[in-house]
Amino acid sequence: MIVRSLRILLVCIGIWSAWFGLTLLFKTGTPELRSIGVWFAGGILLHDGVFAPLSIAIGLGGRWWLPRNWWAPTACGAVCTVALLALAAPVIAREGAIADNPTVLDRPYALGLAIALVAVWALVSAVIFRRRRQLQTGHR
Amino acid sequence: MLSHWIQHPPGWFVWPAHPVWLYRVTQGLHVISGVAAIPLLLVKLWAVYPKLFERPMLGSPVRMIERVSIAVLVGAVIFQLATGLLNIAQFYPWKFFFTTTHYAMAYVAIGALAVHLGVKLPVIRDALSAPLKEEPEFGAPSPLARRTVLIGAGLASGTAALAMAGQTVPYLRWLAVLSPRSGAGPQGLPVNRTAAAAGIEPMANDPNYVLTVRVPSGERTFSRAQLAAMPQTTAQLPIACVEGWSASAQWSGVSLRELIWQAGGSADTDVRVVSLERSGIYGSSVVPALHTRDALTLIALELNGAPLNLDHGYPCRLIAPNRPGVLQTKWLSRVEVVDP
Repeated sequence: MIVRSLRILLVCIGIWSAWFGLTLLFKTGTPELRSIGVWFAGGILLHDGVFAPLSIAIGLGGRWWLPRNWWAPTACGAVCTVALLALAAPVIAREGAIADNPTVLDRPYALGLAIALVAVWALVSAVIFRRRRQLQTGHR
Repeated sequence: MLSHWIQHPPGWFVWPAHPVWLYRVTQGLHVISGVAAIPLLLVKLWAVYPKLFERPMLGSPVRMIERVSIAVLVGAVIFQLATGLLNIAQFYPWKFFFTTTHYAMAYVAIGALAVHLGVKLPVIRDALSAPLKEEPEFGAPSPLARRTVLIGAGLASGTAALAMAGQTVPYLRWLAVLSPRSGAGPQGLPVNRTAAAAGIEPMANDPNYVLTVRVPSGERTFSRAQLAAMPQTTAQLPIACVEGWSASAQWSGVSLRELIWQAGGSADTDVRVVSLERSGIYGSSVVPALHTRDALTLIALELNGAPLNLDHGYPCRLIAPNRPGVLQTKWLSRVEVVDP
């Protein structure tokens, strides 16, 4: 009974909130709304149609090529890599893009990304190396 | 949402002047948690991706509604994280106004999440009340154990946060390799709107510059020298941008309430501060009475012990405690007491 009323409440609040958000969005002009629609649908399509299949392909490739006890650390490294690449996307190669403001986009992003990726994969290698030694010396 | 209410306050909203660092923390958290959520979202979507291809594709009306609500949830969350990330890098490859759209889409995302929770509540209850099963790392049905997935998501989330947090947290600055702000700038402080972008240089450097103060009983003008001759207040206050970066600095100048008293007004009302800048939507702002009364709300003339740089608002600018950077109006030309 409690669960049932909670469910009804959640769905009602949800529908109200989404509807309120939509009314706010519809207050903007047509070109704006079209642009919002493109970014909304584009996000779903880019993820479901490009990013997810690509990740699955890389994951299956990894399972095929890599030894089993490499999987877990490599997967962790891969997720960190994707996160760093996502953060780098809007800043990399845009150093100084705001011409009249040298205080924004003022870091060497390609170098920073490279250092971060090297650090992540050095850690992954260290973990794999340790696992191998543990397996060899029978400490597992 | 809080962030939007602070920046564009609705009538019912009250935001305090103290503690002075509160907005710095809330907005820093807003941006860092958004960044940290990017890998969490991707791992979550990876975990549920096979469900996209479950049969039947549409099925019963209830199932159709559930699928639509999930599409709305996924679309809205991707939209929020993607547009937020691009906004902090000042990259606008779209036609809508970011601030209001990001705010409106938050209601859509929360709504879709509530519907999703409502639909899944029995599943959640069953999962939480079931005893935990030990999952062997090898030979599990999934090639990766749940523990690995959670550790990976957590590590990636932390990595993302560390790559960004330094523009808010001073001690992490050296680690923030992908943050749009290094923290450097004139007088040791970054700038968002430059004097060149605002086009105010001739007016700001005019030797005949005066600040006009309008109170209900009339108007008075003050030259920069007259402002400097008034009792000065020095305070350590953060400047915190809605884009998430923030930095603390030492500001000196006349407190706003002192200025209004000198002009013959009362400091118990809202005050509009107007910039020399004529373009741009943030050319003026309203200081609520709560801030006007506060001794730390300054018409600043100096920053870190030197006269304000032109990019920081020379001849004088507003700097009030616990207020978004866009509302700390620069290059002031008028201060107007708003009739209560």
